[in-house]
Amino acid sequence: MLISLLQAGAVFSRRPGFRYPVLIFLLLCLGGCAGRLNKASARYYAGQPQQALELLEQGDHLGKRNQLLFLLEKGVVYHQLGNYQESIRQLLQAAQLIDQFEMLSVTEQAGSLVTNEWMTRYKGEYSERLWVHSYLMMNYLLLGQYDDALVEAKQALERLEKHPKALRRAYFTRALIALCFANLAEDNDAYLVYRQLANDLPSPVTVAADIVRYADRLGMADEVEKYRSFLPRNLPAGEAELVLFVANGRIPEKRPGNVVLPPSIRFAFPYYSKQTTPRPRMTILPEKWKSLPPVSSDLGTVARDSLAARKTRIIAKETLRVATKEAIAQSVGNKNDVAAEAIMRVTLFLLEEPDTRSWQTLPGRLTLLRIPLPAGHHKLQLKLNFPGIYEQHLIDLPEFEIRQGQRMFRSIRY
Amino acid sequence: MKKTLLFWSGLLIFLLLSGCTVTTREVGSDEKVIYDEGYHFSDKKAIVDAMVKSLLSKPPLLRATDRPVIIVYGIANRTGEHISTSAITDDLRQALLNTGRVRFINKTQRKNIERETSYQYGGNVAAETRIQKARQIGAKYMLTGTLRSIKKDQPRQFRLKKKTLMYYSLNMELTDLQTGLIEWADSTEVIREASKPFIGW
Repeated sequence: MLISLLQAGAVFSRRPGFRYPVLIFLLLCLGGCAGRLNKASARYYAGQPQQALELLEQGDHLGKRNQLLFLLEKGVVYHQLGNYQESIRQLLQAAQLIDQFEMLSVTEQAGSLVTNEWMTRYKGEYSERLWVHSYLMMNYLLLGQYDDALVEAKQALERLEKHPKALRRAYFTRALIALCFANLAEDNDAYLVYRQLANDLPSPVTVAADIVRYADRLGMADEVEKYRSFLPRNLPAGEAELVLFVANGRIPEKRPGNVVLPPSIRFAFPYYSKQTTPRPRMTILPEKWKSLPPVSSDLGTVARDSLAARKTRIIAKETLRVATKEAIAQSVGNKNDVAAEAIMRVTLFLLEEPDTRSWQTLPGRLTLLRIPLPAGHHKLQLKLNFPGIYEQHLIDLPEFEIRQGQRMFRSIRY
Repeated sequence: MKKTLLFWSGLLIFLLLSGCTVTTREVGSDEKVIYDEGYHFSDKKAIVDAMVKSLLSKPPLLRATDRPVIIVYGIANRTGEHISTSAITDDLRQALLNTGRVRFINKTQRKNIERETSYQYGGNVAAETRIQKARQIGAKYMLTGTLRSIKKDQPRQFRLKKKTLMYYSLNMELTDLQTGLIEWADSTEVIREASKPFIGW
């Protein structure tokens, strides 16, 4: 059917050697066009978030295939600029769009079978679908809208339940979910999330204090006993808590991978580079205030896990596309001369482009740092030391007043 | 042959486009319009009606003759959706006020009341027209609640539609501020199943 559609469409050209390439050239023009997103990302990383926003606000000039990416990128840029309300607006739209993508579009899938994945609407990797909720949680917590942060925590939990293997190492988001529960005294839910996190983290030391606290409140003496042995020495305590969302580095880009087989078969697939973002040692100044053990995620690792979880689907679709294209090329060869078939094969070969679209403004690492403090006025600095680098970074935190029992949130990116 | 093909293609496109015209219609506030398994405006009405009925037909408000004063401390949203629970409390307060059997403290306007009082005592307002300080009425009861939801998706299997079951429950309590006792408590539920196709155009 696809072949006949293509043939029917080619009536615009009378010369047999040209009619297929003309049509496919048009399709090629439609595909693989994410220039504005790349430019915006370049501006953002050049320290020009406002210019990046201006580009992103112009939107996609070729339909709505990249609509999700525009919303995601705007969500991060607005977050970075401290406009949390607008970041929420963009990311809520993105979350809504992701829900709509649950329905498979027949026309879109059929179109992508004779061209490439760029023809389809970008639906986001599993990890990106989770991070929409991570940023929404952060935004709501920063605005003091704790009920809404909890709503996002529940939606993030749904994503985690859908793809447990792919998102297992999203430690930051999982700790953030637990924090949203804890913040509204939903002790049982907070305990459950921390308990699962303890199983998946390289060491339960990071969340042992929280497990002991909530297990004790829930009357689970055996759990208290078990995790007490993991408690770090000199665990800081305070009347209030400052929570820092620390973002550093840049998420690795998706790269194009290719496997070429004779005569003109090309398997194209995206992959993330092995790059990891270093985890800095974080100290609070004045040094009399100590932080709890931080929970940190390398976003590149989670992105790679997510793409790997989709591997079977990617291979299946790629095989189907290769078979369809081979059938088209052979059909052209049977009905026309060798030259027409050769042109067709070259065009289809060139058309096979891996979908390397991704959420580019994300950081490479996200860390949740909690600092217990006494109630009162504070002026603090965050000192960052990177492994193997002598130089250290000092970040001044805005002065703040914190009340007894209060939890205060700040977002930092460097 | 080509002309026939063009004719039928044109007709098909025309029919497809004619289905894409914008239409609007008025929806009555009592009408139940439900698109999916999520929370809808008609749910709010059902919830408010059920709660008002229960509050007025059970003690302590059933026997109260002195129009007791209530303060509403809001409904905590513990669902997985961004639901404006203040819309529920606003409607609840309005419906109860309309019965004339209770009175409410205007908690949301406390800051403005303070500001206006300060202004009146700032020297610009005639002394005989100033409101008197320390004459506000204290609440006897506190109205609170929690809206919860449980969502259950149909397990993964080969099918063309995905079914989702949604359960909402609103629990409300009336607490006597002097004794700290819960004098009234009730809950109302909305359970809904929706199915969505996996495949579309």
